[in-house]
Amino acid sequence: MSRLSQGQMIAAVGGVVLLVAMFLPWVGVSGPSVPSGLPGGVDTSTSEDIWKGSSLDIYLLITGVVALLPALMALTDSAEEFSFVSAATLLLGAVAVILVIAFLTVDFPDGADRKIGAFIGLGGAIVIAVGGFRAMQEEAAGEI
Amino acid sequence: MDANRLSQGQMVAAIAAIALFIISFLPWFDISGAVTVGGTTIGGSKNFNLWEAENPLDIYLLIVILVALVPATFSLLGDGGDAPMASMATALLAGVGTLLILYQIFDTPGDLDRKIGLFLGLIACAAIAVGGYLSMQEDVGGERY
Repeated sequence: MSRLSQGQMIAAVGGVVLLVAMFLPWVGVSGPSVPSGLPGGVDTSTSEDIWKGSSLDIYLLITGVVALLPALMALTDSAEEFSFVSAATLLLGAVAVILVIAFLTVDFPDGADRKIGAFIGLGGAIVIAVGGFRAMQEEAAGEI
Repeated sequence: MDANRLSQGQMVAAIAAIALFIISFLPWFDISGAVTVGGTTIGGSKNFNLWEAENPLDIYLLIVILVALVPATFSLLGDGGDAPMASMATALLAGVGTLLILYQIFDTPGDLDRKIGLFLGLIACAAIAVGGYLSMQEDVGGERY
């Protein structure tokens, strides 16, 4: 792991956060309220994660995996070096931030609630972009 | 403006990006249904273009189109300091975009049917990726003219 630069490490942490967040609830749907005295209880709300047919799930999966790539290579002691990985991490992370913000604003289903997973996912995407940017700077400065 | 300033890869990516923008207004998805009332069946369907379908793919492909057009625009305007990494960004984002459209073809959201725009969009996005890749090769080989 010592072969990882600080930027690659930050991006890897962001990748893990993003991948974990994808399994947390992103969208909450509240059902009609049921009087507490009736069978079935009062909690009629459900929540869904991001794996629901939208192409956002696959995009975020690719972004998380690319962010983790240098760390995975270091863990497996692979001597192979992928050029452009830092730039790709920055690019995919920045676009992921835009897509998650768009999902939370213009593309969000009507009448649904924004859940914690979406905000953690947004945070993970921001960390990936920052890590990718830092890794690019370190590569340019020859710090690796 | 002189189109000869563009490398072959930039030209391919730019033309495919313009094609993808036009294709985005064609029908990409369709929903159809039928109801039977008193023995009479009434059917109907509605087409959705890329922008009408509730899907983050529209914003993503808009980003791909803009990124693909940036190097061509810089070259046409005669700006010598062209955007660094633009070719790589074009190839990467369009490659991922091609995967996302392919995923939509095999896993269409809800009960939607696939329409012609989805398939033409796939071809155009793949062409942008090829253009970006060619442009990367030309950058490395110094073949830009």
